[in-house]
Amino acid sequence: MNDLELKAAARRNRNSWILTAPALLWLTVFFLIPYLIVVVYSFLTPDIYEVKFRLSLTSYLDVVSSAYLRSLFLAFKLAFQTTAICLLIGYPVAYFIARSSEKIKNTLLILIIIPFWTNLIIRIFSWRIFLSYNGVLNDTLMRIGLISSPLEIMRTDLAVILVMVYVYLPYMILPLYSVLEKIDFTLLQAAMDLGANEAKAYFKVTLPLSAEGIFAGSILVFIPALGAYLIPQLVGNQQSLYIGQIITYKIKNIPRNWPLASALSLVLLFLVALLLVLMFTAYKRRKDKLKGLVA
Amino acid sequence: MSDIRLENLSKDFGSFRAVENVNLEIKSGELFSFLGPSGCGKTTLLRMLAGFEIPNTGKIQIGNKDITQLPAYRRQVNTIFQNYSLFPHMSVFDNVAFPLKIRKQPASTIKSSVLEMLSLVKMEDQHAKYPDQLSGGQKQRVAIARALINKPEVLLLDEPLAALDLKLRQHMLIELMNIHDLVGITFIYVTHDQGEAMSISDRVAVMNQGKIIQSGPPDDIYERPSSIFSAYFIGETNLISGTVSQVHDDYIELKCQIDKDEFLELDSTMHFTPLPGKELTMSLRPEKIAISRSKPRTQDDINFVRGTIEDILYLGTHTQYIVRVGKLRIRVFSQHKRVYFDEKALDWEEPVWLFWHDSDTWLIDEVASDTSPSGSDLEIASPYSRAVKKLGNQRI
Ligand SMILES: Nc1ncnc2c1ncn2[C@@H]1O[C@H](COP(=O)(O)OP(=O)(O)O)[C@@H](O)[C@H]1O
Ligand SMILES: [Mg+2]
Repeated sequence: MNDLELKAAARRNRNSWILTAPALLWLTVFFLIPYLIVVVYSFLTPDIYEVKFRLSLTSYLDVVSSAYLRSLFLAFKLAFQTTAICLLIGYPVAYFIARSSEKIKNTLLILIIIPFWTNLIIRIFSWRIFLSYNGVLNDTLMRIGLISSPLEIMRTDLAVILVMVYVYLPYMILPLYSVLEKIDFTLLQAAMDLGANEAKAYFKVTLPLSAEGIFAGSILVFIPALGAYLIPQLVGNQQSLYIGQIITYKIKNIPRNWPLASALSLVLLFLVALLLVLMFTAYKRRKDKLKGLVA
Repeated sequence: MSDIRLENLSKDFGSFRAVENVNLEIKSGELFSFLGPSGCGKTTLLRMLAGFEIPNTGKIQIGNKDITQLPAYRRQVNTIFQNYSLFPHMSVFDNVAFPLKIRKQPASTIKSSVLEMLSLVKMEDQHAKYPDQLSGGQKQRVAIARALINKPEVLLLDEPLAALDLKLRQHMLIELMNIHDLVGITFIYVTHDQGEAMSISDRVAVMNQGKIIQSGPPDDIYERPSSIFSAYFIGETNLISGTVSQVHDDYIELKCQIDKDEFLELDSTMHFTPLPGKELTMSLRPEKIAISRSKPRTQDDINFVRGTIEDILYLGTHTQYIVRVGKLRIRVFSQHKRVYFDEKALDWEEPVWLFWHDSDTWLIDEVASDTSPSGSDLEIASPYSRAVKKLGNQRI
């Protein structure tokens, strides 16, 4: 780069600072500072209503105790299951939409977005009505004669997964669709022309080319699913308490324990961050390799 | 040997017939071209050969094997796609190795074959690059290497040079011919560019609206077109309609109306014997016509026509004149050789003589109609005329 170009680049940098300033300010006031408060609280001593301003490490010691570890594990298990099922269902759907004609494509995409128009709590409550002991599902199954007495689905782990998949499926389908839609499908024909049957062509060409969508969709589902609170609370049971529920209880139920809630949140954040860093590293290595930086 | 035989091949898309009743034999090792305007069904025909479309009727044979229903991955036929279709997530090496890996060849064989193939297309030093990092011409070479590595019986090329610039196109054309000579397999080449087809092919099939209009060696099609379409589509020509007035032993006299009650008497040798009164079209290539300010010496087998220069276009290798003769506009190519030139260069609006040998014309047993390129008013093709636009629209 010569002098002039360097100056232009510097100017662009200065300008971009001005442009990002409002966003930075927003993030600082409403995201960074609250998080710092959480960090500080996690080192304080709990009290029945509020906190005592006395430093302590008891919260972190509590986190490692088995009850909370189980909730953490349950949360990871739920997030993992939700992601896997969303991927298994979402991939074929996204693939089908991506290969449909332009008109059908738009209709299907709108159908996927429509649920967002209804409030999440209302949608969860309709699931409760649908799944309940005397609900639509049991009613219908009994009427057809498939079952003789109602199934206990509400308040089971199955109900939680069912509703989780329902809520998070669009977050899997949309990024997958946007990647699959860009794949040049003549590449598949090229693969078959060169001797690959349908299955081989899929695994050697389509799948690797859709990796980016799988990655994005999985992150979009996995991370919010980890902190799930509303769904387990409304359709789950008290035997499987997820970490999101524990955190909420510790904040609002008396005796309160805000330092513990803070510590649990931070541990969760730390684990998610670790996971993301690992995934992005793997992703970036793949991408660099694609660019030929690593031969 | 593995000659290719197409029998009564047709393909419909809904009620639209994209390929109609194609019968052809392509010899093993031949470089065969399908030439026709865009939309005439070339790609569809090629896709049936590759196995991406199943014909509605007809049969495709390679050697004695009927491959009509065989899936693409089981045919000994590989394709160079128009956009190359290199796998973007694989290096050049892996792209070329793909067909061998699919067939689970040992790694050592793969490596040596890939490097050999890459050296054939002069890309051995680029093997670690990714498709994104290659130029159009380089991608083309990789696609060729990838398609040839399995030693197919037939290589299909669908407008392989369309995306390249002129110089590169000419260069790749020669390279393709060299590769064809080296590997010795059948190449089937599809293009809408008559120059490409003429220069590269052993034989050409001219297509229009799903049908094969004419097939044969390039010079045959150029010199002896069987229809107005092939005369017009291959090269440039003047099409003059007329009525046979007299039939002699070795030539006929043709009466051509050029104005309300003005006629031209033209002689032409013939390759079939029409009856007097028959309406015909005469194809007269622009480069076969001589142009001069002064009237040349009268000779028996030379046709003379008097006209006025309407347009002059200097094209470097030659000059194109449009000469108005009655309502005809005759296109003439004149090379810049001193001996053919008058002392002073010809000018706009100048009266000139056009003359050509009887045997330099070609009679087509067809009457130019509204739908044929020359048009009903006998207007002669010029780059600006309606007729050319009609065809030109269909070219890419
Ligand atoms: N899959 C298809 N569905 C419907 N029509 C098609 C399809 N493929 C090609 N066609 C039509 O068939 C005709 C021939 O197309 P094509 O073989 O691609 O022509 P070319 O390669 O000579 O330009 C065109 O009119 C095109 O619109
Ligand atoms: Mg085509």
